[in-house]
Amino acid sequence: MKRRHFFKTSTLASGGFLISAYLPFSCNEQVLETESWEPNFYVRIDPDNTITFICSRTELGQGTSVGLAMIVADELGMDFENLKTEFADGAIERYGDLQDTGGSNGLRMLWEPLRKAIATAREIFIVAAAQKWQLDPSDCFSENGFVYHNSSERKASYASLITLAKDLPAPFDIKLKDPSDYKYIGKRLIGERTRIIAEGKNPYSINVKLPNMLYAAVARCPTWNGNLIDFDDSKARSFPGVVDVIEVTAVEIQPDDFKGGVRSGVAVLASNTWAALEAKKLLEIQWDLGNLSRKSDTDVKEELLAQLEEPRTVTPEKRDIHNLFNRYSKGHEATYFSAYQTTTCMEPLNATAYHMGHKIEIWVGSQAPGMFRERISELTGLPEAAITIHNLPSGGGFGRRFHADYVEEAVLISEKVRKPVKLTWSREDTITTSKYHPYCVDHWEAAFNPTGEVMAIAYKGTIGSTNAYRPNPYALPMVHYNYVAEKGDRLLPRASWRSVFAHPWALGLECFIDELAHLAKKDPIAYRIELLDKAEVVEQVMEPWVGDNLYPKKLKETLEIVREKSNWGQVSEGIFQGVSGISYNTSYCSQVIDLSVEDGKVKVHKVTAVLNCGRVINPSQVESQIAGGIIWGLSAALKTQLTVVDGQVQQTNFDSYDLLRMNETPEIEVHLVDSNDEPSGAGEPGVPGVAPALLNAIFAATGERIRQIPIVKSSTYSIA
Amino acid sequence: MELNVNNQKYSFEAEENMPLLWVLRDLLELTGTKYSCGIGQCGACTVLVNGQAARSCSIPVSAALDKNITTIEDSNSNSLLQALKDSWIQNDTPQCGYCQSGQIMNALALLSQNPNPTDEEIKMGMRGNICRCGTYPRIKKSIEQVIETNSKL
Repeated sequence: MKRRHFFKTSTLASGGFLISAYLPFSCNEQVLETESWEPNFYVRIDPDNTITFICSRTELGQGTSVGLAMIVADELGMDFENLKTEFADGAIERYGDLQDTGGSNGLRMLWEPLRKAIATAREIFIVAAAQKWQLDPSDCFSENGFVYHNSSERKASYASLITLAKDLPAPFDIKLKDPSDYKYIGKRLIGERTRIIAEGKNPYSINVKLPNMLYAAVARCPTWNGNLIDFDDSKARSFPGVVDVIEVTAVEIQPDDFKGGVRSGVAVLASNTWAALEAKKLLEIQWDLGNLSRKSDTDVKEELLAQLEEPRTVTPEKRDIHNLFNRYSKGHEATYFSAYQTTTCMEPLNATAYHMGHKIEIWVGSQAPGMFRERISELTGLPEAAITIHNLPSGGGFGRRFHADYVEEAVLISEKVRKPVKLTWSREDTITTSKYHPYCVDHWEAAFNPTGEVMAIAYKGTIGSTNAYRPNPYALPMVHYNYVAEKGDRLLPRASWRSVFAHPWALGLECFIDELAHLAKKDPIAYRIELLDKAEVVEQVMEPWVGDNLYPKKLKETLEIVREKSNWGQVSEGIFQGVSGISYNTSYCSQVIDLSVEDGKVKVHKVTAVLNCGRVINPSQVESQIAGGIIWGLSAALKTQLTVVDGQVQQTNFDSYDLLRMNETPEIEVHLVDSNDEPSGAGEPGVPGVAPALLNAIFAATGERIRQIPIVKSSTYSIA
Repeated sequence: MELNVNNQKYSFEAEENMPLLWVLRDLLELTGTKYSCGIGQCGACTVLVNGQAARSCSIPVSAALDKNITTIEDSNSNSLLQALKDSWIQNDTPQCGYCQSGQIMNALALLSQNPNPTDEEIKMGMRGNICRCGTYPRIKKSIEQVIETNSKL
């Protein structure tokens, strides 16, 4: 992922620096006890001694806000139940990159800076109390928002110490809590948000209602780079409740960037959501569909396959491995295909914006509120300081809420009508006029020595480079050839989609390794373990958000555990198993799928997964994330796909983009590796291994290698 | 117009064909009921109409006027709904939570009509409710836990 604010993060990440007490603050004035105080950007103390964790990360259902609150409660030494959580407005000046929610990085990236910041806040109150009592700070301790003296009854609330604490320099040499003192980290805690959700009261942005607010829906050009020619809004305007109909001028779409860009469209403004959505259907619009109206997904496939035939090129630093690969004879090759997909968060994309001329206020569920603020500033010409983004919990994100288009639209419409506008995308909009997980074609090839041993593998396809999200952990030298891509305008603009390119990458690599194991007449798990045993640690600390190197031994361990937990090779008759093992950033996940195939009907019975994500903060949430990731992966591997004809997505709603449902969900068993390593992510690592484990199991059952997903795309198979 | 929701009377002005969903959400500010597909395919908007599960996105409000509507906000004596909410919490079931109002209301209708469904009946009874986060295993477990507790009463 391209992140542009790293230089800011690197200064923020050094704990003590976060203390806003260093900002000039008048020492002479009497500070009123009625004021709240933020010792740093992550915590606020109110005059009634309420302590609030200010969560910089977005809550999309991945549970980050709960896991982080557990860390805060432990480091601060307070009862989890008494700690409030609220979400930070978008603010690069406060959080830098640490506010972007993506790459399953929330806990990992905040683990160190958050504990340092909280420990520093804790110490500053201890020092303040010690000064007040004229004692040595080492004779005092803090618990539950109070500072106590070790050997007397003296006790002071944080709130009562604010005036004193504010003027103190931030203490250095902060001692972080010893893990043996953790009360919450590692426990199955249920956050307050779970209760709020069960009562139907989670404050999603789609629930926002402001005085004088208009409800908007937009009809967008069916091809992403087409344009409006003309429209007739007479029928739409006569729909009860409709207030106005306006044109939405296109903003250049960057088909492969996190920035938004807005499709050419027509907006209906009404007194309620339904009127806006219904009247939109009554618009009569003439579009200039542009060059993409002559391009379909079959053309993309042909174009990419033709490029695979072209001579391979490598960058100079890869020439050695290219030469090594060419020294041996080619013996086996395979091309894998994965379909276009869309995220379809259950809460359709929506945003409420109020452009007041000199300032803008926005309510939205966003994975990158700081970046969105920067983007809206760029779009409107207003300084970032004039733009407030209230970041609310999202009804799913999965990468899609990293892209700003839906907020840009709301701002542009509000700019024209100068009223608060809530823009709601219909479900059809989120499927037909969105941004998408790309269609991928990936070619893998192995070179053998005369005795039939694999000496090197080669990859050429739609995935740009090998990195921490798509690594090669095996002791097999690999050459990554320059990638293939559509020439000219992409058929569809791209968005992140849970696990992004790790999904097609694992499909290719983990199926291909399975094929090599079969050629070598070896058990697929034993073969992988053999290759991991011989493998060196892979350097992957090339970007700050990656975190750590790749340790093949850790992946090997998850494979050994999954072999045992899945009763590998000892299942009942008619059941067949397939395996995969992936690493994603610094998490490792191995899976075994049990399935049966009868008359071409595939039935998945069970998925057994083993995850190593370092120290587990909350096992309940981690298990839930992995199970959810597996179900996500099964939808894409078994049945969902977008097809594109003449530049237009053919699926429209959940009837044609039919996600996995409860009756199709197999038994899922998740095991977590006990580890004291730094915590890593769980939101995405469940996804990439599903498709290869499924296809490998189908091979075990039928002897046939399917190399495309979803499997319903091949005419031979359907779902039982 | 007048609507009886959770044993409370609400008065409002609306078009007769406005779906119940949007009356609840935009006019009555009962936002626990969710919009997600608008065509009765995902179940996020499920409410009870006279005790039966109904997709509120696909029912005109005029068809609901003389009926008893129950939504996720119902906090009255309905002990089965409360038991389901409690079970959802105990099992840490929601992830993003957006579909869960509909899941809970659908489970309420399922168990109201069949207090002791089989494994297959639960799966088939809940298949109309999509969860994109993939919380199905915990939804199922939450329902099973309520069945088990009730069978001991």
